[in-house]
Amino acid sequence: MAERREAGVARAPVERVIELAGVSKVYDTGRVAVRALDDVDLRLEAGGYMAIMGPSGSGKSTLMHILGCLDTPTSGSYFLRGHEVSQYARKKLAQVRNREVGFVFQRFNLLPRLTAAENVELPLLYAGASAERRREVVADLLAKVGLSDRGHHRPNELSGGEVQRVAIARALANDPAIILADEPTGNLDSKSEEDLMQLLDSLNEKGKTLVVVTHEDSVARHAKRVITLHDGRVV
Amino acid sequence: MNFLTVFARAVASMRYNKTRSFLTALGIIIGVTTIIAIVALLKGLDRTIDQEFSSLGTKTIYVQKMELEIGLRRHRNFEEISKRPDLTVEDAAAISELATVRAAVPYIPRNLGTLTRGIYEADECILAGIGEGGDLTGNWIISRGRFITRYDQQHRNMVCVIGSYVADNLFGRGEEPLNQTLEVDGRRYVVVGVLEEKGGSFGHPQDNQIFIPVETHLKYYSLPEGRASVFRGMRIEVLPEEEVPVETAVADVEELLRLRHGLRYYEDNDFGLNTQESMLSSLNTIRSVLWLVMVGVAGISLLVGGIGIMNIMLVSVAERTREIGIRKAVGASDVDITVQFLSEAVALASVGGVVGIVLGLAAGAFVSAITPLQAAAPWWTVVLGVGFSAAVGIIFGIYPARKASGLNPIDAIRYE
Repeated sequence: MAERREAGVARAPVERVIELAGVSKVYDTGRVAVRALDDVDLRLEAGGYMAIMGPSGSGKSTLMHILGCLDTPTSGSYFLRGHEVSQYARKKLAQVRNREVGFVFQRFNLLPRLTAAENVELPLLYAGASAERRREVVADLLAKVGLSDRGHHRPNELSGGEVQRVAIARALANDPAIILADEPTGNLDSKSEEDLMQLLDSLNEKGKTLVVVTHEDSVARHAKRVITLHDGRVV
Repeated sequence: MNFLTVFARAVASMRYNKTRSFLTALGIIIGVTTIIAIVALLKGLDRTIDQEFSSLGTKTIYVQKMELEIGLRRHRNFEEISKRPDLTVEDAAAISELATVRAAVPYIPRNLGTLTRGIYEADECILAGIGEGGDLTGNWIISRGRFITRYDQQHRNMVCVIGSYVADNLFGRGEEPLNQTLEVDGRRYVVVGVLEEKGGSFGHPQDNQIFIPVETHLKYYSLPEGRASVFRGMRIEVLPEEEVPVETAVADVEELLRLRHGLRYYEDNDFGLNTQESMLSSLNTIRSVLWLVMVGVAGISLLVGGIGIMNIMLVSVAERTREIGIRKAVGASDVDITVQFLSEAVALASVGGVVGIVLGLAAGAFVSAITPLQAAAPWWTVVLGVGFSAAVGIIFGIYPARKASGLNPIDAIRYE
């Protein structure tokens, strides 16, 4: 990972983390083909902070899934840190999700059977980190999100805001290129929402590239850049 | 993730739903318990049979009117068999001349019932006519005195050699039977030998015999006729020379007797050559049937147990679709997910297997404690039990695990 960072520094003063070129996604439901994304071009530099808005059905989630390598575009190209991941096979995509992407979902973010610490540990486990390193990183991340004392609690013993903060800690585990948050404050009261957004803001200030999908202006105004989708197009 | 981590996680997942895990493993538990218990019983049976056989002479060939088979008896034509020629002392003498034969001894048993001597009595005694060398062929050890000799035979001496049961019951404590007389059927025999205790064989006592020279026996008692002659007529016990394989001696004896009986090449033997091996081979037929039954029972119960595991694993995969989605989102590969669910299935089956082994061993120990059968499962059944249950876990876990790993991460995350 250190090697990659050096290469990034050497390549350009401002790295282009995300580059979508003519990306379309068509769902063939059998009777009709639904065009969820229609020829989307998008760029995001390292350290960027972008909010994606739009009404439901506008293609927000589809875009999010493609950005997060959970799905591949029907046509067009997606470069993540300069690599064209749109052509990757399943195994390679799993690796990219593990190393380059950190997800924060709206709900049911954490595995209910595991403790907060074990949830944060998951990406490290799949990356093959040693037990010692996992312990170190998990403690470090929980401290970073202010939950050092909650590591042994299961998700049902945590508040909604705490759950989302654990999810953020997990998203940071392998020091990914981007953090993708899908309606991260959807279930929170306004106080918790503000706390969480401040946490995300602080991450961005430290140089993390963030993409937040939301339909709330109060969330979107934290971002440096807002794009709006409508019928699968950026407007 | 190393093996230990994977297994620890699988066990943790199993503990998360204890009741369900127990019920799922129950099929395997019952299957493995059955296997271990049945193997223990069959081994116990084998051991008992081997002990019975070891009290017979291991190399001795029994020449009789018919072939003996233990267990699965074919339909026998006893009319034909009872008309076969009786074996004779001359046959025995001729056989003993064979180069491959060390001793060939005629033997005729006769039931005496209860025998009394003064205040003493012994039940179910047998008066047996026997020739020189009968101690060798019958695997007898002479405690005191001597065995019947050729001289005794030729002179129809009124002498006897008695088994330990007879010695113990017809003579008082501290009384030496040697050189005393024993009255049987109104005739008096001098005791010239006492045998060491041998124990029973297949439920037949052996130490209840009074051996007298075969010629003496023939002088006073006529040979049984008809059907009785098949089982209670004269037999010849043949001991091959040392270093000579039993089969070689059997072939020689067969050739000689066919010649003496004037059989043509197309005629079947009108006598039986029974060896421990030939009796064991018919016994082995029963053993293999029992083992086959066991394999069938075990196979079916493990199959049922395996289907139970597959069923629950499929339910588990459906229930945890969201979990699979999140795991994939944070970087779990298809292999990671497959390993996770497969290891859970294997853990379920293995724990079931271990519990089954413990219960099966306990069942064997219980049987040993309350019956004479020495039921004990050999060590390899433990390996077999663990191996089989783990294999069941893999075989029946692979389909649910593949199903889990094949899930599309988006569909899995959307699932609620």
